[in-house]
Amino acid sequence: MNPMIRKELRQRMRERRGWLLPSLYLVVLGAVVTFAYFVTTTDRGASGIQGSTVGVVLFLTLAYSQLALLLLLAPIFSAGSITIEKEQRTLAGLLTSLLTSAQIWWGKFVSSLLFVLLLLVTSLPVLSMAFAFGGIGPWEIFSATLTTVIILACMSAIGLYCSSAFQRSVHATAVSYATVIAISVVTAIVFFVRLTMYESAHRGRAVAVGSNWFGIPLNIRAPMYVNPFFFLTASFAPPKQLYPAWITCACVFIALGALAVALTLRNLRRRGDL
Amino acid sequence: MIDVEQMRKSFNGTRALDGFTLHVGAGELFGLVGPNGAGKTTLMKVLSTLLPMDSGTAQIDGLNVNVQTREVKRLIGYLPDQPGVYQDMSVREFLEFFADAFQLRGSRNRTAVDRALKRSGLADRSETSVEQLSFGMKQRLVLAKTLLHDPKVLLLDEPATGLDPLARIELREQLKQLQAEGITILISSHILSDLEDICTQIALIGAGRNATDAEGHSVLQLRAPQPAVRIYEIELLGDNAPAVTIVNSVAGARTLESSADRLVVEMTGADEQAAALLRALVVGGVNVLRFDHRALGLEERYRLVFREKRP
Repeated sequence: MNPMIRKELRQRMRERRGWLLPSLYLVVLGAVVTFAYFVTTTDRGASGIQGSTVGVVLFLTLAYSQLALLLLLAPIFSAGSITIEKEQRTLAGLLTSLLTSAQIWWGKFVSSLLFVLLLLVTSLPVLSMAFAFGGIGPWEIFSATLTTVIILACMSAIGLYCSSAFQRSVHATAVSYATVIAISVVTAIVFFVRLTMYESAHRGRAVAVGSNWFGIPLNIRAPMYVNPFFFLTASFAPPKQLYPAWITCACVFIALGALAVALTLRNLRRRGDL
Repeated sequence: MIDVEQMRKSFNGTRALDGFTLHVGAGELFGLVGPNGAGKTTLMKVLSTLLPMDSGTAQIDGLNVNVQTREVKRLIGYLPDQPGVYQDMSVREFLEFFADAFQLRGSRNRTAVDRALKRSGLADRSETSVEQLSFGMKQRLVLAKTLLHDPKVLLLDEPATGLDPLARIELREQLKQLQAEGITILISSHILSDLEDICTQIALIGAGRNATDAEGHSVLQLRAPQPAVRIYEIELLGDNAPAVTIVNSVAGARTLESSADRLVVEMTGADEQAAALLRALVVGGVNVLRFDHRALGLEERYRLVFREKRP
């Protein structure tokens, strides 16, 4: 086993946030799902809402709120990962050992990702609530989980790049959060503004995003391919509708992650800023 | 064992090393001194494979530090200035991790860790959290970590910084012991008295280049006969002004320090020059109470080299 992974996991589990964050995460997630449940079922008798509909609503609420929470938490684990070695002056010891830059990166990446995945796994009991109502199959669970893991892996890689590029954890974390906001919020704003302008320019051809995604010109929908929430939405769609978009999103996120890995390794190999 | 030729390294256009050359023989305990910003730490980082050099060559035991980095890492133990530790690990966990990082597995790991604990005197604190160790103990722990994989060469950058006198004495003894075991040690330090005690030779570095003393030596031989530049202490009775005038008029003599009843004079040349100076003082009416030759310490030699070069 890579010594870095063992060291990182040991250190992470000894930190107070090792148990505090999963606990807070579950409390928030539980509260959101409970709220969604009561909102959905308040007038159940009047509207005759089906149990499977409740299940779908709970599942979607859980999937999106889980992604939002994990996007907020991922930089905490990855962005400080290499800067902490710089701050406590231990990076030189690692780089002059027989550990390669790739091993150091892999150890940091696996431990960051595993901790986020731990949070994902801890939400399973909450997810089981959605199952109890029906309307959700294993495929939805699998595709949503796979999508979330790809997004988190990419964000962890970007966080590690920030960590290798900056001297202090606070700066690396700030830039990581800026990246999260840029891809989650800014891309959506840019998309909707441009879409509105497009629709007003072509009044006769109004576009319904869900049903005719590919009817929107590529230059307008392009920003959404780096948007994690759109990526997750694409994973729920029936294959003929948004499946190609899911593939495009996956390729974009994997490419972004690969670029972040390459830049991080270059930074670690350059080593001049210890 | 360590061969550096015309090493150059720049950071954003600023030359940290500007053609520095150094040769350290096997088994030597070799010092490196120079003012702040002279390039000592950069040299150590290049030799420890942390930084690539811009030009020149650097070899450790015949291995190119720029190219054969992995092989060089097996050979060296590097102790940076202000080394860090993992505060949340126990002493044993810290050593086990680095033994693992040097690919010492299973029984080799245990043996190396036990030996490091014994060598550092921390065997009875092996389960103590690193956070609870004193600064001196942490420094011993980091040195022990540096020795885990039995390096043939030690690169120590300011290892005594921040240590109390007792810890410094212990460090000196440990370094002497390591040298006796055949390890080649290159050590940079501002604590000249420590270097004087343990080193056989000392290289001078200033502004990234080899600095030289009055005789053109860039490496001071500490166990060799005294150089031609000598220091004399002259104790006087009465006004010292005429004495200073006479000293400065004698060929090869220069006043280094002057107080009410004492002069420190630097002399170049043979003993006859000193005799001529004493004669001139007496003939000039100066009341000389004492005229002593003082062995030139590293501190004075350092001062002679770098005094006028300070910005």
